[in-house]
Amino acid sequence: MVAQLTKNERQIALVILLVMAAVGLAMAAGGRNDPFGVHGALVMVVAILGMFGVISGYYAPEPPEDRLDSYYDAPSKFGIIAAMIWAVIGMFVGDWVAWLLAYPDWTFDAAWASFGRLRPVHTSGVIFGFGGNALIATSFYVMQRTTRARMPDQLSPWFVLLGYNLFCVIAATGYLMGVTQSKEYAEPEWYADIWLVIVWVTYFVLYMRTLARRKEPHIYVSNWYYLAFILVVAMLHIVNNLAVPIAWGSAKSYSLFAGVQDAMTEWWYGHNAVAFFLTSGFLGMLYYYMPKRAQRPIYSYRMSIISFWGITFFYMWAGSHHLHYTALPQWVQSLGMTFSVMLLIPSWVSAGNALMTLNGAWHRVRDDAVLRFMMVAAVFYGLSTFEGSFMAIRPVNSLSHYTDWTVGHVHAGALGWVAMITFGAIYASVPWLWKRQAMYSAKLVEAHFWLALAGTVIYVFAMWNSGIIQGLMWRTYNESGTLAYSFTDSLIAMHPYYVARAIGGLLFLLGAVVGCYNIWMTIRTAPSAAPETAADRPVLGGAVLQPGE
Amino acid sequence: MFGFHYRLERKAIGLVLAIIGVASIGGIVEIAPLFTIHQTVEDAPDMRVYTPLELAGRNIYIREGCYACHSQMIRTLRDEVERYGPYSLAVESKYDHPMLWGSKRTGPDIARLGGKYSDDWHVAHLNNPRDVVPESVMPAYRFLSRAELRTDDLSNHLKAQRRVGVPYSDDMIANAAADAYGQAAPDSPQAEGVAKRYGKATNIRAFDGKPKDLTEMDALVAYLQILGRLTDAAYKPMASAEK
Amino acid sequence: MGKEERDPHTGYLTTGHEWNGIIELNTPVPRVIYFFLSAAALFAIGYWILMPTWPLGTTYTKGLLGDDVRKDVTHAVKQAALDRAVWSARIEKESFADIQKDTALMEAVRETGHTLFGDNCAACHGRTAQGGKGFPNLTTQSWLWGGTPAAIAETIRVGINSTHPDSRTSQMPAFGRDGMLPRADIDKVVAFVRSLTHPGAKDLPADKVAAGKALFAANCAACHGEDAKGNPEMGAPNLTDPFWIYGGDAKTIEATVWNGRQGHMPTWEHRLSALDRKILALYLVDLRKPSP
Ligand code: HEC
Ligand code: HEC
Ligand code: HEC
Ligand code: HEM
Ligand code: HEM
Ligand SMILES: [Ca+2]
Ligand SMILES: [Ca+2]
Ligand SMILES: [Cu+2]
Repeated sequence: MVAQLTKNERQIALVILLVMAAVGLAMAAGGRNDPFGVHGALVMVVAILGMFGVISGYYAPEPPEDRLDSYYDAPSKFGIIAAMIWAVIGMFVGDWVAWLLAYPDWTFDAAWASFGRLRPVHTSGVIFGFGGNALIATSFYVMQRTTRARMPDQLSPWFVLLGYNLFCVIAATGYLMGVTQSKEYAEPEWYADIWLVIVWVTYFVLYMRTLARRKEPHIYVSNWYYLAFILVVAMLHIVNNLAVPIAWGSAKSYSLFAGVQDAMTEWWYGHNAVAFFLTSGFLGMLYYYMPKRAQRPIYSYRMSIISFWGITFFYMWAGSHHLHYTALPQWVQSLGMTFSVMLLIPSWVSAGNALMTLNGAWHRVRDDAVLRFMMVAAVFYGLSTFEGSFMAIRPVNSLSHYTDWTVGHVHAGALGWVAMITFGAIYASVPWLWKRQAMYSAKLVEAHFWLALAGTVIYVFAMWNSGIIQGLMWRTYNESGTLAYSFTDSLIAMHPYYVARAIGGLLFLLGAVVGCYNIWMTIRTAPSAAPETAADRPVLGGAVLQPGE
Repeated sequence: MFGFHYRLERKAIGLVLAIIGVASIGGIVEIAPLFTIHQTVEDAPDMRVYTPLELAGRNIYIREGCYACHSQMIRTLRDEVERYGPYSLAVESKYDHPMLWGSKRTGPDIARLGGKYSDDWHVAHLNNPRDVVPESVMPAYRFLSRAELRTDDLSNHLKAQRRVGVPYSDDMIANAAADAYGQAAPDSPQAEGVAKRYGKATNIRAFDGKPKDLTEMDALVAYLQILGRLTDAAYKPMASAEK
Repeated sequence: MGKEERDPHTGYLTTGHEWNGIIELNTPVPRVIYFFLSAAALFAIGYWILMPTWPLGTTYTKGLLGDDVRKDVTHAVKQAALDRAVWSARIEKESFADIQKDTALMEAVRETGHTLFGDNCAACHGRTAQGGKGFPNLTTQSWLWGGTPAAIAETIRVGINSTHPDSRTSQMPAFGRDGMLPRADIDKVVAFVRSLTHPGAKDLPADKVAAGKALFAANCAACHGEDAKGNPEMGAPNLTDPFWIYGGDAKTIEATVWNGRQGHMPTWEHRLSALDRKILALYLVDLRKPSP
């Protein structure tokens, strides 16, 4: 890794790591009695280890000039492995908390192992660890190939990926120590938030610099989505995390906003984290890997435009559907509901565009589990957005809100859409990146597919059942016109579904483990790729490839 | 439209600006007016702030992730009002940085929990929910009774709260640690100051049953016992409708 | 590359671009999409006209229907109370005895009481009202403060050792901790108390029990009565029946006498309406019926 950096980059890397080590030291000293200090020590240790790494490779020869003839893929490889590791961690914890809701004593009387602290480890682990790494890794891969330009340098992609993973580790270890801002999907504390801003700005700049070097005059759809993902997440993250720390040396901060304004800001963020992290980014992924794998043209360029701008515009209004019937003024609820309904159209246009792209390739869907992952992802994308728009209708939400129905919807999207498209993209990328003919075992990909599908279906059906039963029990009236069930009555009714969900989750997790093994074995086998063609390499010099008009 | 886009997609900066522009509108229209429309947050002259002990308890509530299972937001729906009490008002969380409305009810809503159960019950329940509610799936929090409450940084907490808009006085900030101790030790000399600064109605009790030790259990129970009792504003609309 | 071509499968033209092998068709947007987009927009516009929606600086559009969720729910709750009045008005007015005789009313009491009890009382007294450690069983004939529906309703209203000004107050003194009785005497009186429910148990020698009996008469009878059958005036429990609040084993009784007890039952006056409290009292009386 260090050998791929130029001398100059090695020097910059050392300076960055030195600054990080100093900051870590200051944090450790300032936060001696606080989890803040633990994180400081962590940063310091990581930076020092990094320095050792750079120094030990410092005198390696400069990378050869001909590196510029190929795309820079080492970061993508790292990102994919990191994504798989986080997938297993995040889903293992997810299944653990699932079992905890059925058997609450499956813990060791330890503070860190209680449901409330583990749950964000799961959500951040899968969304940011698994999803984020997969997005960054594939965006590097896709952006270079669709612009026919190599990334402008070797250092910034590593800064983005390693810095991002440091953020994820600080987040997850923080939750275990009880460090959290409690804002859903934005739980990390102020210093982690600041670090993420630095990483994210670097990511954006890297993306723009690569785009500036592009040899294709037109920017491909995937990049619109990746750009929207990067930009809007930055916007959301900065506004929602505005907070005042209680002191240097303390992990604790207080959000700038309070009460109803805070609620609206949080769900403007939370809903659009779904939109731009879990939707836009992954649509960018789909727009590259699906046509590639199916060897079919995108069905409609025009539909791509409608859905992209529709999604980007409508989504941002929909956050208030998380606050129906609450103390949020009713006018905002009306906006949230109506925009959520309109949002269905561009969402289905993208799902439709994806599925129509498969026209003429259905035989491949039948035979190729990798493409089938992507096809099922598009179906679940359509399903969960339909469900979402339905749940955003106020009377429907009055039933679904606060119940497991929401959790079912989340996982229809998360397992069926996000994870499936990611697995599809990863299975497609691994042989390309490591220059292998194919995955080590097509049978294991097939096994993973069925485990994932079965797990998702069991999970989602269990939660639909429990959620709707729960919602109905809370509002059922008896003959006398009074509430028929106590809260505890509904709690008891949940038990079988919680067990079923945990089993479904276990299947899904097993699938991911099988995937890890398969990827590992693919990397271990000897390279034997199809010969590279000119299209697999960046275009050098000032050539422009296609007509601008 | 497609022709315009055909040109736009050739300009990276143009695309970036277009995305930022299109994506900003919704948030601005929905969030900014919440600060300017007066009715958004009701008036409640009797609204009081959290005592340092309650604030510390609230931070434990956050730290343990209780909000992942408990909402503090009774919606404007008949069944919720009949089960949990008057629907929640915006003013009730006006000093909540951040709010803890919640998004999932694995356990019941606790917006109106204050005074519903005894301190002893809370201690027993938090030590092991299944001792008192055999059907419960809530985690046991035994360690809270063992953990001494950290008070040395409470003044900083109050200061930061003031910076984000909660009206803590200099007096309150200066005495934060002593007040935290006094609120859970009714017979101590510090107890008086709590009543003086935060009002006679403040709960001053040995919440965890051990007046000598100030534990995290004290703080959390003090917080749970104040839920829904910072102001009576929520009871007014319902009461006036009955007339 | 760079030339528009016709896709043989769909028959549509491509856009003429290619990115790393990916091409796009320039397929026109199907009509149905515009139709649904317009339909969704029309629905939205209709909704905006009818309902409060758009912010206008310091106010917002109220909508033609003038809808207000807060008014709606207040009305719904009030209306529901009126609908229930067919039976609830009678419960409010009639005497406990009359209500108990009316099977229809008692059915409403059972249905309503189940949830009221489940949401408010079960946390302490258990879902079946059979109590738990520290919380009395409410399905027995043995009552701390009297078992008439009126007494029970009063207990619910004011609570026990609660914050209510009229709260029932009860205090089992801490004989050991406060130095009123030496350890040896407590041992004896505990033996006596145990003998009340375990007559002739092997580990309770007669002389110890006799000594305990004397100590009991001197120290405890004032509250629990000469016969140890309790006193509903002071909330002192009957110690001769098999129902225990804290437990009837030697260790727990000893802990009770050593440390004293002061159970806390919250007041429900401000949380539950008079009607709800009356229903709960009736519900409890009804619950205990089957078990004599
Ligand atoms: C795994 C989910 C879960 C977590 C985490 C959790 N609870 Fe609970 N909680 C429940 C459930 C389920 C109930 C209902 C059963 C019971 O009373 O235990 C409940 C009940 C309660 C009640 C009684 C409410 C009432 O009105 O009856 C209180 C108070 C409470 N929890 C406080 C807390 C606090 C404080 C924390 C964090 C320190 C917490 N809970 C964390 C699930 C949870
Ligand atoms: C916080 C716990 C708690 C809750 C909630 C609670 N109780 Fe109690 N209740 C107690 C305790 C403790 C006692 C016994 C007090 C004592 O030990 O002297 C008690 C005693 C009683 C008694 C007196 C029993 C007797 O023998 O005279 C009645 C009746 C009663 N409760 C009914 C209810 C009803 C009805 C509700 C719900 C509206 C309720 N309780 C809710 C804790 C609770
Ligand atoms: C001042 C009145 C008073 C005196 C004197 C008193 N008791 Fe009590 N006792 C009570 C009350 C009131 C309770 C119920 C406390 C509660 O439920 O919290 C009680 C409860 C008990 C219990 C627990 C019953 C159970 O169901 O778990 C035992 C055992 C007991 N007393 C024994 C004694 C003995 C033995 C003595 C004398 C050494 C004694 N008491 C003296 C008032 C008294
Ligand atoms: C092995 C598979 C998984 C299992 C067993 C699992 C289990 C769970 C459980 C038990 C919860 C808590 C629900 C509750 O509080 O009631 C949860 C929440 C959540 N999970 Fe998963 N999960 C899995 C995979 C994933 C994946 C892959 C993602 C995202 C890519 C994801 C995203 C989320 C989110 C966003 C929430 C929060 C939902 C909410 O707050 O409503 N999960 N999961
Ligand atoms: C048209 C698109 C969508 C709409 C309108 C929509 C709408 C909704 C609604 C109404 C809720 C419930 C809010 C509540 O009652 O608390 C919700 C929750 C959620 N949705 Fe969606 N959804 C959409 C697509 C998706 C997709 C594709 C995902 C991908 C994973 C997703 C992830 C989530 C998550 C994580 C939550 C839980 C938030 C929380 O409470 O923590 N949604 N969505
Ligand atoms: Ca944060
Ligand atoms: Ca949630
Ligand atoms: Cu949403």
